[in-house]
Amino acid sequence: MFFPEAMNEVELIVPSKDLLAVTNILGKHGVFHQIDSTYLGLENLGPNTWQEKAAGYSNLERRIQLIMQNLNLSEEYSGASDVDSLSDLEPMQSAVDRIEADVKKTSDQLAAEKKSLEQLESQLHQLEPIAGANVNVGALQKSSYLHSVLGIIPAENVSRLETSLSRVPHAFFTLREDPKRPVVWLVGPRSNSDVIDRAVKSAYLNPLVLPEEFEGTPAEINASIRKAIEISNQNISQLNATLARLADEHKQELRKLLWDVHVSRLIADAIARFGQLRNTYVVVGWVPSAVLAGLTQRLKQASREILIQATPIEPAGHSSNVPVALGNPRSLSPFELLVNTYARPRYEEIDPTALIAITFPLLYGAMFGDVGHGLVVAAFGWLVASKVVPALRGLAALGGLLVICGISATIFGFIYGSVFGFEEVLPHLIRPSQSILQILGIAIGVGIVLLNIGILLNLYNAVRARDWPRFFFDSNGLAGWILYLSFVVLFIQIVGKLILSRTIFPSGVITLAWVLMALTTLVAVIFSEPLKHWMEGHRPLVEGSLAIFGVQAFFEMVEKYISMFSNTLSYVRVGAFAIVHAGFTSAVFVIAHLVSGGTEAGFGFWVVVVLGNLFVIGLEAFIVFIQTMRLHYYEFFSKFFRGGGSPYEPLALASAPKK
Amino acid sequence: MASGVAGYAAISARVRAMYADLLTPQDFARLSEAPDFLSLFNALKSTAYGRYLDGLKDKDINPRHVIIQIKRKLADSYNSVIQMAPVETRPLVKQLYRYYEIGNLKAVLRAIVTVSSWNTERAIWDRVRDVLFPLGPASVLPAQAMVESGSVAAAIDLLQGTPYEETLSFAMKRYSAEQNLFPLEVALDLSYWRRLWSEAQKLTGQDREHSIRIIGSLLDMNNLMWTIRYRVYHKLSEEEIINYTLPFGYRVHDSDIRAIAAGADFASVFTRLYPEIPDVNTLLENPRTGLPKLEVLFKRRIMQECLAAFVGNPFHIGIPLAFLVLHDFEMQDLIVLIEAKSSGLPEEEYRPFLLKANLLLPEH
Repeated sequence: MFFPEAMNEVELIVPSKDLLAVTNILGKHGVFHQIDSTYLGLENLGPNTWQEKAAGYSNLERRIQLIMQNLNLSEEYSGASDVDSLSDLEPMQSAVDRIEADVKKTSDQLAAEKKSLEQLESQLHQLEPIAGANVNVGALQKSSYLHSVLGIIPAENVSRLETSLSRVPHAFFTLREDPKRPVVWLVGPRSNSDVIDRAVKSAYLNPLVLPEEFEGTPAEINASIRKAIEISNQNISQLNATLARLADEHKQELRKLLWDVHVSRLIADAIARFGQLRNTYVVVGWVPSAVLAGLTQRLKQASREILIQATPIEPAGHSSNVPVALGNPRSLSPFELLVNTYARPRYEEIDPTALIAITFPLLYGAMFGDVGHGLVVAAFGWLVASKVVPALRGLAALGGLLVICGISATIFGFIYGSVFGFEEVLPHLIRPSQSILQILGIAIGVGIVLLNIGILLNLYNAVRARDWPRFFFDSNGLAGWILYLSFVVLFIQIVGKLILSRTIFPSGVITLAWVLMALTTLVAVIFSEPLKHWMEGHRPLVEGSLAIFGVQAFFEMVEKYISMFSNTLSYVRVGAFAIVHAGFTSAVFVIAHLVSGGTEAGFGFWVVVVLGNLFVIGLEAFIVFIQTMRLHYYEFFSKFFRGGGSPYEPLALASAPKK
Repeated sequence: MASGVAGYAAISARVRAMYADLLTPQDFARLSEAPDFLSLFNALKSTAYGRYLDGLKDKDINPRHVIIQIKRKLADSYNSVIQMAPVETRPLVKQLYRYYEIGNLKAVLRAIVTVSSWNTERAIWDRVRDVLFPLGPASVLPAQAMVESGSVAAAIDLLQGTPYEETLSFAMKRYSAEQNLFPLEVALDLSYWRRLWSEAQKLTGQDREHSIRIIGSLLDMNNLMWTIRYRVYHKLSEEEIINYTLPFGYRVHDSDIRAIAAGADFASVFTRLYPEIPDVNTLLENPRTGLPKLEVLFKRRIMQECLAAFVGNPFHIGIPLAFLVLHDFEMQDLIVLIEAKSSGLPEEEYRPFLLKANLLLPEH
């Protein structure tokens, strides 16, 4: 739970005769993250025939899908049974050829008929605006002095076409308004026909072209086209009936074929990425340690001669290519989503999901503490997670998170003694509006603790990764931690003097803090890079000139002090929001009292209280959520979490089509 | 729905983190010092591109595969930004991302037209696949089926239900008559930029202001480059140039495009629009060699616009857009470097075409 699942790099040497059985086990078990290992194969064995096979199956699968599409059949797998051997391509191809020949002739005829119908309807559509004109359309095209073009144009090109013709005299009519395809008529002098034609062509205006057989006035042509449409519709109905009969006839066979080809394609695709030797295959991939034994047992049952070498991968060194499987319980999935939004942990890193499952609700609840408001947020979260409201389905993944944050806010509501802003109903441990300094102090204290945890986690990550330069000399490494502790001591001393007018630490501790701060500034900030280079054996220790190094070191030091200060103070917002929350609700009550004339009763009072509470929930619940996220992403994660791991995607032979 | 501070807090944090992963001018200087492709590859592995390159097997360490991996990083950035962008700005980012899908679509159509002499169906797809931008599930193009369909008409039939169907159905009439991909490609470009501009116009407040500035600057560059190319290379008439360009932009207006289309002097229009770009006259004396250099100058200007978006209020879509544009330019720079190193070009020949290397970017 606290770390990505331990992975084993698994290398299998599979005898050719057991290839399919082993691939089936790998696919069905669904735990093997395959790596392309073709490079481990012998190159003199000729081209990889499995790639050709996979392409063959893929091609056939598409053909079956196309036939099913033509027959209006949904892509279901009939009798999705286990497939223990690769289906033979040739008989399946012959079966597909046979069905395709049966279906293709009719579906091609149908497609041609539909195209012709579409064309006829388009011609009819274009003629409609001039249906009342008593002119011979053909004659208009043959005018001696005018050049005219009637046709359809993409709506967005109309104004550009007019602009392009601004230097030649012309008349432009939109005969039919249409948001996408208006029908337009353009007329100009025949002497400018070349300009008009170029403009028309470049504006993608498709001129109306009437077949020879449609002669006469628009009304006469209209009647002829309608008759042709009627005949075309009859043909389409007949062809559809034929296709429905064919669909019934071939349904079962097609679904069976689709399943066989689909599974064979997946297997062939997987094998195409195996390394091929003379009589064996090399298969390489990743398997989580927890399921390795089960998989090994199944593989040995499938092949007696299989060689299995599993190497557990230590979370040290360069493990960036190890896929990362996060083994968090389902209940933590909302927090895993938060972590993954920032970055996927690397293999050697701590997975912070479990940790932020505690800190996130804690900070949220502290900022938004109110029993009533918390319960409303929790109820809203439940509504979102249950997917009852269609408009909120897109947020379903956040529902669980809101429920937990709502519960935390409720608990803090009991601590603050606040229910929908009523502060006299419940007893309280602390009241933010009355103990401002205390609340802000606690918030900074929590921040200091969290930042220290962050630095300690970074140290732990460095130890796990055996990254000693990072452990010792990183700005969040050991020296960086001592620097931060010294800073905290001095910070508390100064705040104590300024605000409480008292000395917190004895002078010996303060002197030690100054000395440590100076020393660790040298180690963790100024000479951090050269020291890391020295430890890594990297030369030169200082890249670039010494002058640039000096300037850079100075600014890094300033930046480090500012960031220590701002990171720590950033947590003040936890207390500040708790105070603001109390302030907002008391403002609601002030307004309610004004409306009701100073009494705590009456319709006006309750309307303001309800609307005010809704306003506070709507405004603050969201802002506090963002602030909590910010504190985690900017302040906390940046101390120890690098991310950049690649996802674990095991090979799986689906028994149902992928949605 | 959620905009302003609330809508942008998460995406702003994420984009800042991704922005910090972009290469610095110092990184570029180091990469540029690599004597050959292999050294460049090794140097790249120590950057944020490392995790994309780590998985490459020795036999795949060649410019083609490395470029694909580099593109994957940009694809990941787009997916991340699209996922986290406030709902009302998401259509704009998605439309911006379609730029690469349009590129893929053009590549597929070109492959169908030009590779009829290739051996097998498999060989054609294999070659095409390697030049496509790795959009993954974000793509609506059935690219392999289109390539295997064997004809432009059949390939375009497969685009039913995609955003390209309407545009290409108009342009197909011209393709059938002329047997030339030019009208299809121009129609795709115009439609893409129109939609992008319209998505930017739909936004309000700072979102609108910043997206108009960034998208408009990109549009200005394209519009001007198209205008010059249509006049110089394609010898198109005034009315054709007007129809093949767009009447909007950030600095460039319809009157400027129409002036060039009508035969106005390129350099005078440019100098009026961009007085800060030096030596336009010299560059445009020979447009064939000068245009690519002018395009680089334009892109550097756009980089400055993008960097400006990071200053001030961080809660607007300008920052994610600027980051994506900068990331794209970085990808272009890396492709130049990879191609230069693999073909042994001396630095003085490829350096003028690098966008980032010659700029002093602020530290992340």
